Formats: sequence, C-alpha cells, structure tokens
Amino acid sequence: MSDALIFQPKAGKPAPPSTLGVVGWVRGNLVSSLPNAALTLLGAYIVYAFFSAVIGWAIVDAVWEAQNRRECLDLVGRAGACWPGVKAWIPNLIYGLYPKDQVWRINAGFLVLVLWAVPLFLPWVRSKVMIGLGLVLLYPLLASYFFHGGDKGLVWGALIALGLTGFLWSWLTAIAEARREAPLLEGRRRWILLAGLYAVSLLVVSQWVLDEVQTRLWGGLFLTLVISGFGITVSLPAGILLALGRRSRMPLIAAVSTTFIELFRSVPLITVLFMFNTMLPLFLPAGVEVNRLLRAIVAVCLFSSAYMAEIVRGGLQAIPKGQYEAAAAVGLGFWQSTSLIVLPQALRIMIPSIVGSFIGLFKDTTLVSIIGLFDLLSMARAVGEDTVWLGLFIEPFFFVTMIYFVFCFSMSQYSFHLEARLGAGQRR
Amino acid sequence: MFRYSLAAIAAAAAMLVAPIDASAQQTLAQVKARGSLNCQVGLPTPGFYALSAAGVWSGMDVDMCRAVAAAIFDDPAKVQYQSVTSAVRFTALANGESDMLSRTTTWTAVRDTQLGLEFAGVNFYDGQGFLVSKASGITSARGLDGATICVLTGTTTELNLADYFRANRMTFTPVTNENVNVLVETYLGGGCDAYTNDKSSLAARRSAFPSPNDYVILPETISKEPLGPVVRHGDNNWGDIVRWVLFGMIEAEEMGVSSANVTEMLASPSPGIRRLLGNEGNIGEGMGLPKDFMVRVLRHLGNYGEVYERNVGVNTAVGIPRAGSLNALWNNGGILYPMPFR
Repeated sequence: MSDALIFQPKAGKPAPPSTLGVVGWVRGNLVSSLPNAALTLLGAYIVYAFFSAVIGWAIVDAVWEAQNRRECLDLVGRAGACWPGVKAWIPNLIYGLYPKDQVWRINAGFLVLVLWAVPLFLPWVRSKVMIGLGLVLLYPLLASYFFHGGDKGLVWGALIALGLTGFLWSWLTAIAEARREAPLLEGRRRWILLAGLYAVSLLVVSQWVLDEVQTRLWGGLFLTLVISGFGITVSLPAGILLALGRRSRMPLIAAVSTTFIELFRSVPLITVLFMFNTMLPLFLPAGVEVNRLLRAIVAVCLFSSAYMAEIVRGGLQAIPKGQYEAAAAVGLGFWQSTSLIVLPQALRIMIPSIVGSFIGLFKDTTLVSIIGLFDLLSMARAVGEDTVWLGLFIEPFFFVTMIYFVFCFSMSQYSFHLEARLGAGQRR
Repeated sequence: MFRYSLAAIAAAAAMLVAPIDASAQQTLAQVKARGSLNCQVGLPTPGFYALSAAGVWSGMDVDMCRAVAAAIFDDPAKVQYQSVTSAVRFTALANGESDMLSRTTTWTAVRDTQLGLEFAGVNFYDGQGFLVSKASGITSARGLDGATICVLTGTTTELNLADYFRANRMTFTPVTNENVNVLVETYLGGGCDAYTNDKSSLAARRSAFPSPNDYVILPETISKEPLGPVVRHGDNNWGDIVRWVLFGMIEAEEMGVSSANVTEMLASPSPGIRRLLGNEGNIGEGMGLPKDFMVRVLRHLGNYGEVYERNVGVNTAVGIPRAGSLNALWNNGGILYPMPFR
C-alpha cells in the first residue's frame, strides 16, 4: 500500500508581468483587442482635440490685458478668449448691481455663515443638532440686515438680535464643549446665559447702522445663492411635513398635502415663477407692492417643497413596516417613532435623491432671469451687451459654467462623504 | 421685436386689468408718493438700455426714463429700472409694477388697441435690414435669393423676413436662435450668408466684429419699426406727461435750446421758447407738473439731438448716422415732427 495520494498545491506563480502595473492596466483595458485599440486611439484623439482646443482658446491664445473688446479682437481675433471683459464684470457677476462700496456686507454675511457652520464640523462638539437648527432658523434673520440694511424698526431689530444671539451661543457652546465644560447647557444657568447674550446682542445690534440696499440691486452669484439657499433650507423640512401629511390617515391633511404636491409638481417652475411674479400683483390692491425677490423665493420654495415631499415619501416607504411596529411596541407615539426611528433611517437612504434635488434647484434658479432678476446667468448674458465688451459672450458663459460646476460638484462630493459617514457599518 | 411665447398670457392679463384699474388716474400721484419712477427697460442692449460694468444704465430709452423723472422730481436719478424679458414686458406694465415702459417697443395696431397699452410717441424710427460681407458682392437685398439668413426666432423680425422674401418671390433658408450673440457668432463663423435684424442693432453688432469694414448693411429697409415709450391705458394724464416730455425734447432741438444754453434761453423773447420753458402759458401745470418742467429736462438730459448723439450717434460704439435718416428733424430731411408746444 503506498501512501494515499495527497494533493499538494504548488506555490502560486507571480502574475505575468504583462498584466501588472501600468503596462498591464493599459494592455488589459485599452488595447486588449484590435477594435478596442482603435476605439482607444479614437477616444484619445477626441480628448486631445477637445482639450487642446479649449486650452488653446482659453489660455494659450487668450488675451489677459485689454481696455475693450476691440483691443482683444485686434490682438487675436476670435481665436483666443478675451478675459479682461470677464474680469471687469466679476464684481457684477458675483454681487450683481449691489453698491460696490457696500459689497463688504455680503462678504461679512457669508463669513458669518461659514463661522457659524464651523462647529458643525468639529469632532468634539456634541450639540450639533441644536447648532444646525439655530443656523438654519436664525441665520436668515441676521443676514437679512447685513444684506438689506435700512431702518430696523423694533420687531426687526429684536429678530436681528435673536440671530446674533444664536451665533454667539453656538460658538460659546462649541468652546465649552471643547473644554469639556457642560454646565452651559444645564438648567437655569442656560437661561440666564441666553438672556444675557440676548441683552448684549440687542445692545450691539442697536448700534449697527447700514444703508438700505433694495433687493432689486441684488444679483449675480449672490442672488443665486440667496434664492437657492432659501429653497434648500425651506424645502427639506416642508417636504418632510408634506410627505408625512400625504401618508397621514387624517383625510383632510392627506387631501391638502396631496393637492399641494400634485399641483406644484404638475406645472413647470417657469410657470410658477411667472404666476407669482406677474399674475400675483394683478390680484393685489393697487399700491400694495410685494417684493419681487420675495415672490421669486416663495415660488421656488413651494415648488421645491413639492418635489422634496415625493423624495421623502419614497424614503419613508423604504422603511420596513416592522420598524413602525417595533417603535409602537416600545410605546413610542407618532412623532417620537417618526423622528427617532423612521426618519433617521429614511433620510440616510434619501441622501442621493435629496442632494440631486438640491443641485437641480441650484441650477433651476437661473429661471428667475425671465422675471427680471439678475442672477448669475443673466449677468453673464449682460457682459456681451456692454458697449465696451459688445459681443463677448462665450467667455462669461465659460466662467459661469465653471462656477456652477464648482458648486454642484462640491455638493455632490459632500453627499458622498455624508453617505459614507452615515452609512458605515449599516449597509443593507 | 415681439415674442410670441407668453404674449397670449400677457395680452389676457393686460386686458383683465386695464379697464378695471381704479388707480388708473393716479400714476403721477403714486410716483410722487414713492419718490421714484418705476421705469421698465429691457435686458441690456447697447445704445438703448445698456448696462456698464460699473452697474450704470444708459441709452436712448434709459434717457427717456430719466427725462420723465427729471420733469417730475428735477432729479434724473430718481428712477428704479426694471429689466424684464420681452415676453413679460406688457404684463409687468399692466400689473402696475412699472409706471412706464421704455424699451424699443414697436408701435403696432394690435398692441395699441388690444393690450391695454398707450403709446406715448416715437423716440426712434428703426427698420429691419440685412448685413452681408463685402466679399459676398451683394449690394441689394434682391441679391439674397436662395441665401441662408441668420434671424432671431419668435420675433416680428422673423415674420418680416418671410414676408419680404415671399413678396419678392425669392427663397431663403433661415438659421434661427433666440440669442443675438449666438446668431452673430454663427454668422461670423460662416453659418449663414446674411444676418438680419433692426438696422440699429446691425450697426451696433457690426461695430464689435473683428473687422467691421468688411461688412455692409444693405440699403433696403424691409419693415417699419417705430419705437417709443408706452404707458397703461386709462391714465391719460400720465400718458400726456410722457408724450409731452418727449415732444418737448424734440421741440427744444428744433428751437435750438440745449442743455448748454437753456439758462440763457430763459431770457429769450421768442414766444415759442417762452412757452416751451414755461415762461408763458401753463402747459406744465395742466399736467400736474411745474411750469418749467422742460427746463428741468433740458438741464439734466438735453434736447433730443443731444440724447441721440450721446447714445447712438456716430461718435458712440453703436454709431448710427442721424443726418438724412428718419430720425432727423422734419425740417432736416427726417420725420421727427413734434406737435406744437402751445
């Protein structure tokens, strides 16, 4: 009897060098067969032709210094871009017709926004929900005065102070939590602190004197951000409420929500904007003027809420019934089970759709140009109509395309980041 | 230039409002109470309502707004410019957002009679023409048979073009777009043999070509485009104000009164000038304006000739020669004929 034949695996050989590294990747993916190689060559040629043309036009042959378009044309004709025109218009493209000596207010307003949002990204801050809520609810109050200015009046002054209080409180909280002091948020001390902060804010705000800048002067990227900012912050909570309303067992609420959603989803945004901007004043008594920008913002918010509602409803439907039942079994009521069990899971699933909707909204704001608001795109269009830069329109559109790309791409990257963070270890 | 897309809605809206607007008689009072004139211009267009990089509006039509503001407030800066697309221009006037509209709007029967509008006059006589390259050898629109022609879509421009070719039994291939800049770029890139638009626009665009002198505007004018300020139906006094500010500026040119000499002219014995400047009669007071409203207008804006030369004259980028054109005074070969100021 000989020994039983035992399988002895040979030691693995290294992969053939032709499949390794860059060479291997190129062979495997680009030139694996003759048709493939041909396609690769064709693709490479297209990419080369496209980029060499764009780069040649936008950089190599471009004119960077000129007083007017005529100088550009005399230098390079139409072969190269004429950037000085875009450069001269950059203040308008970014801030619209906002008085140039007041532009610092917009910058300050956005700086406050960024500063306010910083604690949300600091790992040791625990009150992120409160800070985030404060930011969404109170920042517009503070920003409204930065951007609009003018006579404050009592009520508005009190609201602005509320905004400032929110900002200060957020940072105090962040600092306290960094030093592991919790008492800021505890019991009576919190209320005393808040009252003190509010008193200080009132005092500070009462000292602020900013000239009025009417909203018809707002424009450019600033206006685009204001409109889409409002649309984004309003549409999410409103969409959640509408979606819950539509799923509600109470017939009245369900009917109202459904009607609202279906009404706004079945008309194009341009129509909604048109209705709000040109038809609405027809029904108002003479002399009553509702701010044009406000009308546009309301229209955008209503429209995007309807879309958001359907996204949220889709997310809610993806949550298994067992989750609702389990929540009910441990004695949670409707609002508790919704906010603690269902929504957190649903929102996580919905992130891609929600961000997709935000990006769409950001781009859709270009439609406000039809009702006479000078958003980023209309400003870009105006460059080519300036007598000094007459006919210059590819360059500003190129520039604006880059701006839109940066914003939309950042939003989508942030959503990937959010998905990765929230979904870790909980993938289905 | 007339867009059809939303015109039907605009028309319906305008008709809804015009007859029932209870405040119709009070536009002047509203403007005074507000402290500024809401004047509607169009999306920036060189020569007529241009926006500069500094954010300042200027142009023929902008000066019309400024003149009315000067007549009311003695301050041409008291204007709030509203710039909307042509699709919603009449609705924005009808719904009361704009007090007047001054944006190269062609006076047509339908607009005047069916949209609840009142044309206050004509401040520029335009007409549609063709632009071709000198190299093409074409010297008359009749030579365009079979040509490819770049034309703005959705405007009367497109219809005029079709009418002209049909009337002359010629054929053409249209290349359309709704953006002038795109059309011009198409034309320069060789996408069409000729480019058609109102002649004022052709002149302006040609000035921005790489080599303007290689192109000519053909002599034919294939349409009538009397452009002027517009107000709502129903407030005749307000329409009178706009109309007589315009007539006053043309009359001033005819009488030789300008921004430079208006102060000296106050002492002029000529009865016509005395009436124009408010030293005789009560033309201004009859409209709710001060007697010397034309003095204000002339001091700030100048007469029609000054406004023309400053905005679209030969020394500007737009460069439309006035002498011998329709826009010259009636006693100078043109058809500008102000009604007597008496």
